[in-house]
Amino acid sequence: MSRAALGEGEPEGPGELRRPSLNSEERIAARRLRIAARLEAKRREALGEDPDAKKAEAEELSRSHQQIEESRQRLAKLLNDGTQLVTNIQVAADARETQRRAEEDELKRQRLEKLENESKTNQDKFEEITSKWGSAKEKTIPRDLWDVLNLQQQQCALLIEEKNKLISELQQELKSKDDQYVKDLKKQSDDINLLVERMEEQIRNLMKTYRRELTQIEKAFELERRELLSSNKKKWEQAMQAHNAQELANLITRMQKVEEYEKQLNQLRVQDAEEYTTIKIQLENDVQILEQQLQQMKAIYQLNQEKLEYNFQVLKKRDDENTIIKSQQKRKLNRLHDVLNALRMKLAKQIKQFQEENQTLTADYKRIVEQYKDLQRTMRHFAVIDAQKFLELWLMNEEEAKGLAWKALKADRVIHTQQLGLPWVEPDSWFLDNVGPIVHRKAIRSASKLAQEVMALTESSQQEEEEEEGVEGGRKEAEAEAGEEVKPPRHISVKSVKHILELLCDESVSPSLPAPTAEGSVSALRRAGPPQNSFLDLRIVFFS
Amino acid sequence: MQEPVSGDTNMASPPLKTSVVNPAANPRRMRRIIAEDPEWSLAIVPHLSELCLQHIVSNFEKNPVVDRLLPEHQRKVLDRISTGLPLTVTANLISDEGYWKRCCTERWAVCDVSRYGGSWKRMFFERHLESILKYFIPNTTDPNQVLEVIPLCKEYVRKLEIDQFLPPVKLDQNKEEDDMSDSGSDVGVDEFCMHHYDLGVLTAALSHLEELHLTYGVKDCGMNFEWSLFDFTYQDCCSLANAFKKCHALKVFKLCRSKVDDEKTRVLIRNLLDHPCLVELDLSHNLIRDRGARAIGKLINRSKLEILNLCNNRIRAPGAQAIAHALGKNSTLTSLNLRINCIEDEGGQAIGHALLTNATLTSIHLGGNELSEPTATLFSQVLAQNTALTSINLACNHIGLDGGKQLLEGMSDNKTVTEFDLRLAEVGQESEYLINQALKANQEIARLKTLYQPNSLEEKSPDLD
Repeated sequence: MSRAALGEGEPEGPGELRRPSLNSEERIAARRLRIAARLEAKRREALGEDPDAKKAEAEELSRSHQQIEESRQRLAKLLNDGTQLVTNIQVAADARETQRRAEEDELKRQRLEKLENESKTNQDKFEEITSKWGSAKEKTIPRDLWDVLNLQQQQCALLIEEKNKLISELQQELKSKDDQYVKDLKKQSDDINLLVERMEEQIRNLMKTYRRELTQIEKAFELERRELLSSNKKKWEQAMQAHNAQELANLITRMQKVEEYEKQLNQLRVQDAEEYTTIKIQLENDVQILEQQLQQMKAIYQLNQEKLEYNFQVLKKRDDENTIIKSQQKRKLNRLHDVLNALRMKLAKQIKQFQEENQTLTADYKRIVEQYKDLQRTMRHFAVIDAQKFLELWLMNEEEAKGLAWKALKADRVIHTQQLGLPWVEPDSWFLDNVGPIVHRKAIRSASKLAQEVMALTESSQQEEEEEEGVEGGRKEAEAEAGEEVKPPRHISVKSVKHILELLCDESVSPSLPAPTAEGSVSALRRAGPPQNSFLDLRIVFFS
Repeated sequence: MQEPVSGDTNMASPPLKTSVVNPAANPRRMRRIIAEDPEWSLAIVPHLSELCLQHIVSNFEKNPVVDRLLPEHQRKVLDRISTGLPLTVTANLISDEGYWKRCCTERWAVCDVSRYGGSWKRMFFERHLESILKYFIPNTTDPNQVLEVIPLCKEYVRKLEIDQFLPPVKLDQNKEEDDMSDSGSDVGVDEFCMHHYDLGVLTAALSHLEELHLTYGVKDCGMNFEWSLFDFTYQDCCSLANAFKKCHALKVFKLCRSKVDDEKTRVLIRNLLDHPCLVELDLSHNLIRDRGARAIGKLINRSKLEILNLCNNRIRAPGAQAIAHALGKNSTLTSLNLRINCIEDEGGQAIGHALLTNATLTSIHLGGNELSEPTATLFSQVLAQNTALTSINLACNHIGLDGGKQLLEGMSDNKTVTEFDLRLAEVGQESEYLINQALKANQEIARLKTLYQPNSLEEKSPDLD
């Protein structure tokens, strides 16, 4: 139906798509309602709500909203329709284009087919002609040749005619296409003009309807406003009246209440006055008692206060003293610390010093011991030499003296005999027989001999004494004091001396032997062997 | 006192101008005369500041002083400087929209600033650059003309709509052949190469370029029409493809009515693959066939394309199948326009299958594609399952009554489609009407969803009637 309206020759251009007859409109309207009802029922079922309630709700929508909805719908429909109208032109053009393309393709295909057929048939004919050339060349008779050539010419002419016909056909088509193109161009320009017209019309319509709808909406709002205003005013009046009545009623009740309350108040006042007086008396008594108590408390408080103050003063004083003492003590402490530190330092210094001294002294001691030993040695040596010398001198001098004495004695004898005629008694001339020094005869004994005697003789104290002497003498051999007998200290018994000697022996002989041998090897040897062994060791000790 | 002074106002417009906003507001300076011309002033000798400003305005070219002025003086200077000042002076100095508005309205009759993001400066520079490029004749015009303008306008140009590219002027045949050998192209068939302006330099320099609308054709050629004027040569295609590589901010690219065929499409697409921000591609009214469509299918999945317009090309069923195959795996494309191709039922069904799985496409236009009932059957399934589509256009196909009924069934299950165009699809008035009803219901749902987010059900019922 609508497609038919789109014929090319239509003067109004591509047709109005919606121009149904009244009948169809009615039918459509009826269908519309049915379908709408069906859809709505379906939807409501789907929502599962009471349809009546919805209706009620819908009616409550205010007039202005309704108006807005209506306007919106109207405008949307108008816009839609207008746009449709405008785009119809484009759609029609698209349809035309697709149709044209389809036709074009068809025509092209046909043309191509035709051309192919033509070329095929003409190719055959041409081949026929060319094949005849060969046979024509063979003809010798000119008449035959002329016939053949004529035939060829005719056929060629035919061929060319056909080609020309084809060419003219194609040119015709080209011309018709050009015309078509011009027509299409014109149509398109008409279309564009129509489009522009429709667009302008639509815009005008839209503007007009928008304005109209706007005024409608404004009116609706205005109406609504007035209605609201009047209804509100009425409500207000009603409310005011009700309010007034209410106020009056309230006032009356109020008055009644006021009277009632006054009565109550009076009653209460009387009651309260009585209560008040009784309570007042009670309270005054209480007050007096309390005041007395207060006075007492004040006195106690005062006393306590003074006591506390006194204590406080005492404590403060003590505190001060304490602080003073503390500070003093601290100072003392510091001082003592200082002293202590100084002493410590001094001690350390002294220790160091003494150590050094000790070291030097030990060194000195050692040195001196060495020297002493040397000295002793030299002394011994010199003693020996001196003794020898003394002996020699003594002998010499004794010889001399003896000589002189002999001379003298001789002289004396002579004198006596010759001169005096007396008998000569020879004096005691013991000294003439003396050889060697007189004093030291029994004193010189070596230390070793002495030690020997010590070891051998342990019973007699006399001999102990002697040995002690001898020991001492042995020790002091270096002293060139002739004839001096040193008395050893008597409190040392022979046994202890022996023990000492043994220890000495042990110590010097066996310094490398381990300490646990409490009894020295010497004592062991002594027990084991004859005393000579210890004596030997002693000798070693003394001469080492 | 009043007359002689009013006589003065009737004389020639005084060059004396002081800006007095509301003289009555300041009683100290209030005059007894309040002229209707706000620029009229009693003072005969202008203020020194006025003279300075006049001097600045007249010598603006040599000594552009704007920044160091007070705002009110700045305003006056900007309102008065000539719109004919050279761009080298004004481009980077003046950013006042009023001045640029004056420049635009003086130069062009029709100015719709909303198409340029509300910025007059941007409009001026874009249209200026467009006009230079539109009248650029490749071997005649000095390329420096363009190169000079680039540094002045590169901050402001975001969109270029060049709807004509002039070919080089045909001189001697010999000369052209020399040129041809110089440029080193091997166009076998053409006698001379009509290479248009190479956009590579431009796109590399304009770093903010986001939209590019090109048409390789000539307007107003009148009786000098020749088919060769409308050629989009292979060389042009290659240089354009290279230009893409340098243009990193390109979001919208439209190349319409330029006789782009499969080969050229493939060259272009090769350089558009994985472009970081291309969002809209429009190759409508060209000569793209199935191979080109396959390349485009590949591009769909390897870029961020959201809007694809391929209307009025020569894509047939295989091409549509390639695009459908890409669509099935795609999740960025939102709008696909295959109007007036010839994809037929096979292609239509392939796209239907793709739509069963695709969940991002919202608008599809398959008008004028020789689709018929099988496609409609499949689409009814799509309607029942797909919840992303909102706008479908199957106008000018041969869907027929049965197809219409099937689509109606599908629509009854669908709650998201708000536009379904079935004009001239022979579906019958009843089906069309009922589908419209379903659409209206869906439109209500969509509207309410945007208005009242929490409760969308209660208000619906009074609207159904």
